[in-house]
Amino acid sequence: MKLKNILLPALSILAFTGLRAQDARTIADKASDVINPGSMEMTSTLKIYDNKGNVRVREVSNAMAKFSGTTKTLFKFLSPPDVKGTTILIYDYENKDDDMWIYMPSLRKTRRIVATEKGKSFMGSEFSNADMSKPTMSDFTYTLKGSETLDGRDCWKLESRCADAGVEDANGYSRKVAWIEKSTDLTWKIEFYDHADKLLKVETFGDYRKQAGGKYFAFKLNMQNVQNGRKSEIVINKYQAGSVLKESAFSATTLGQ
Amino acid sequence: MPKDILSIRYRWYFIAAAAIITLLMAVPLKDSKINTDLNAYLPDDIPQKVSLDTLESTFGTTDPIIMFFETDDILKGTTLMRIESLTSSLQQAEEFKDVVSLFTTKNIRSEDGTMIVDPVVKHIPESEAEREALRKQIRGNPLAYKLVVSDDFRYSLIMFNPKPGYSDDVLLKKLDKLLKENPGSEKVYFNGMPYLRDEIQKKAIRDLTLLMPLGILIMIGFLYFSFREIKGVLVPLSVVVMAIVLAMGLMPLLGYDLSIIAVLVPILMIAIANNYGVHIVTRYQELNARYGNRSMTTMLNEAMYYLRNPILLTALTTIVGILGMTTHIMLPAKQMGLVSAAGITFALLLSLYYVPAIMSLLRKGKPQKSFLVPSHTLVDKFLVWAGNVTTRNPKMVIAVFMGFFLLTGAGIYRLHVSFNNEKIMPVSHPLRISTNIANEHLGGTKVISLLFEGDIKDPVVLNEMERFTGDLKKLPQVGSVTSIATVIKTISRAMNDAGDPLYDRIPDTRDAVAQYIEFYNLSGDPADFERLVDFDYTRANMNVQFKADNIEEFNKVENTINSLMSASKFCKLKAGHCLVEKQMARSLVKGQNYSLIFAFAAIILLLWWIFRSLRAGFMGSIPLVFSVVSTFGLMGWLGLELDIATSLLSSVAIGIGVDYTIHLFWRLKTELSDGVEYAEAVRKTLKTTGRGIAINAFSVTIGFAVLFVSGLTILKAFGFLIIFSLTLCLLCALMLIPSICLLIKPSFLEKSPIKNFNHIN
Repeated sequence: MKLKNILLPALSILAFTGLRAQDARTIADKASDVINPGSMEMTSTLKIYDNKGNVRVREVSNAMAKFSGTTKTLFKFLSPPDVKGTTILIYDYENKDDDMWIYMPSLRKTRRIVATEKGKSFMGSEFSNADMSKPTMSDFTYTLKGSETLDGRDCWKLESRCADAGVEDANGYSRKVAWIEKSTDLTWKIEFYDHADKLLKVETFGDYRKQAGGKYFAFKLNMQNVQNGRKSEIVINKYQAGSVLKESAFSATTLGQ
Repeated sequence: MPKDILSIRYRWYFIAAAAIITLLMAVPLKDSKINTDLNAYLPDDIPQKVSLDTLESTFGTTDPIIMFFETDDILKGTTLMRIESLTSSLQQAEEFKDVVSLFTTKNIRSEDGTMIVDPVVKHIPESEAEREALRKQIRGNPLAYKLVVSDDFRYSLIMFNPKPGYSDDVLLKKLDKLLKENPGSEKVYFNGMPYLRDEIQKKAIRDLTLLMPLGILIMIGFLYFSFREIKGVLVPLSVVVMAIVLAMGLMPLLGYDLSIIAVLVPILMIAIANNYGVHIVTRYQELNARYGNRSMTTMLNEAMYYLRNPILLTALTTIVGILGMTTHIMLPAKQMGLVSAAGITFALLLSLYYVPAIMSLLRKGKPQKSFLVPSHTLVDKFLVWAGNVTTRNPKMVIAVFMGFFLLTGAGIYRLHVSFNNEKIMPVSHPLRISTNIANEHLGGTKVISLLFEGDIKDPVVLNEMERFTGDLKKLPQVGSVTSIATVIKTISRAMNDAGDPLYDRIPDTRDAVAQYIEFYNLSGDPADFERLVDFDYTRANMNVQFKADNIEEFNKVENTINSLMSASKFCKLKAGHCLVEKQMARSLVKGQNYSLIFAFAAIILLLWWIFRSLRAGFMGSIPLVFSVVSTFGLMGWLGLELDIATSLLSSVAIGIGVDYTIHLFWRLKTELSDGVEYAEAVRKTLKTTGRGIAINAFSVTIGFAVLFVSGLTILKAFGFLIIFSLTLCLLCALMLIPSICLLIKPSFLEKSPIKNFNHIN
């Protein structure tokens, strides 16, 4: 056997493992950037299924824009009729806990909510509040777990592990493994593991559409909780990159207007 | 030369048959399973279980484990740190879910126009001022105060549900490990069905492995003391062992699990199954002492000729009494009745066929001199005294017995039925302590769930729930009432400022309710609602937590619920483990009555048949009525409750106790037919047969006495009461019945003896 036949594979393994750590973070950053829409407006349908297949449907309009480094998001219920007009406003600050307000049309009242747990459910669905906002990249340590083909796409398997117990508690999971397509940096699937490192939820993404500005947006999201058998899905009905709303529309005082 | 009896002629066949049956019945023993789930003791189709299933199919099963902490101040830093650490360990453990503690319970409040949702303890207080601020905050939190932490802040709890698929043993081991990893100075007690089941399981295994060998050892000692001959020990002992194997082997064979009272089966066998063999050995020893030159076979032929029918009849009455248990509603009692009756039947057959067969192979022992010289033991002295008192003043004897009967019997009015499962355990057991803590300082250990049907977001339905809550909270027994209405009110306090018309009340419109719920979904966990309302808001669950130490307290709560339900359009069903427990209590009384009626009727019929006189049936029942009523009365006076074990007392006491009277009637009848004068016949009967009856009663008593070392309170109580009950049967047979006979001189005793129905001793 020639020496190079032994050395080449060995060297390539060494080179690969040496590169892994830094590659992992780069892949994570790219995957985050490719979908970061900045500002947008959309309407979506949220379907929440229980473990017996019963379904609850909510239609929500949603606007998001960034003002002075703070991402501000508005959610307004369009249906069902009993919650129509209920509006939620979230300020996602870079360096402190979110601010959240809710407007209830039946009481004609706006109330600020202070809740620190991002791991909690988003509107009673299997998505968590953390799933709906952009993660802080430094909260995680990244490891490349190799490559895998998913539905014919050549993907990286990237593990993001919560840096400490505080991050775990805030997110509601200990680590997640994402399947990121090598050619597009798009994420197609994420597995979430609970505190005991048991598989908790599986999120899948579909119908990515390229938006003006080159960013992508997934028009279909599905979250399956494998532990309680419940699932939720979000389908984007209308999407528009960028928001025409002024900053004053993202104010707690004008929520009911 | 007369032919040998069947059992001697075909002795090898009988010995082989006994051995084969025993070996075959030993095979299923390996499949024995202990089932300590008390709820499984009632049939699945009773309405209380069906209701519980209906409720649990919508809102999930609950089988919580509760960990209580006791210390001088729960809000101490070290205590809170321990509770926090354990809460987090439990949340992360794969065996548990739904963890409720000071660190998961919500503190929903309104501050400066802001709704704030935090855990009750967000930060562990570092100064006295912070600690007192937290104390004040907890006192104002209806979701925590007196529910998660006690009014005096000396107790707090962590409550959680096991995930499906884990055995109680695994869960409790995990909890032990978590506690070791999180040590502290606080006392920790557990409560909840998984813990109770695990504790019963441990104690049942201990009882089975300890009591049975101990009982057998004591029996060996007793037999050796009585006979001073190895075969006198081994032959009756082998009958006991074979009867135990058959009875215990039958359980898995018939698909029965070993219940909490299963340990009584071998004890019953030890107490009863050797009696018949003992009579045969006694007779053989007596003949050997009197006629030393007779061969073993001759003596056995003679012994069996005399003993066959008495053994058959006394065994039959015992079997019939024990079979009374099969009319019980509680499954373990039914099962125990059946296998014990089978075991005793087997012991009877073994005594009639296997005992003479095996003894005929053994060499004759040295004659026991004790049979030839008159003995003057304490028992003999008592019997002579009893004979004298009875014959001189029968009316006084009857009066003393009547007085005792009325005095003890009056206690029946104080007799309660046990419906608190934890009372299976001794008073000092952590389970009993934690139940007291929950009852005295927290919301109580009983929960009744009420199912409401309708449009749950409709304020009309929610206000009806509020009406239930208000009325139920007026009862001193009720600790908490939780429902979706409670949550809506809590949200209203956070949504509105104090003084606002909407503060602390159900809003007036359906839309407002829907928006409150949507609002809660943003900050709370939808799982918080899962146990309170179903997915499409058409069914809601109200949990009424209360304490009830006795059935009267329980009934007060249940009656209030019933009257609220009868006036409600929406409340459709009530369910709860405690209602199944209560049904168990009712079944105990009913089952006990059925067994009693069955046993009495069967015994009266049997005595009627044996003595050809209905009067004999009724007279023979007198000791049984006396003993049963006095025993229940004594239970009332001593505060012992009717439970799954004590509800079997009467069947066992009747089955065994009637034998004494049968023996007495026989001998009396024989003496009278021999022309002996009545008073002399009584004295003679007591001196001879009385001795046999007393020794028999003593051997049964020591068999049951091993129950005193049982780890389960109910079995200890059973041991004490069955001994009391049998002692009364014995005293009645030796003193009361002869006194009555002397006074009324019943004609059935003066008829000529039935052929072959001879006395035992």
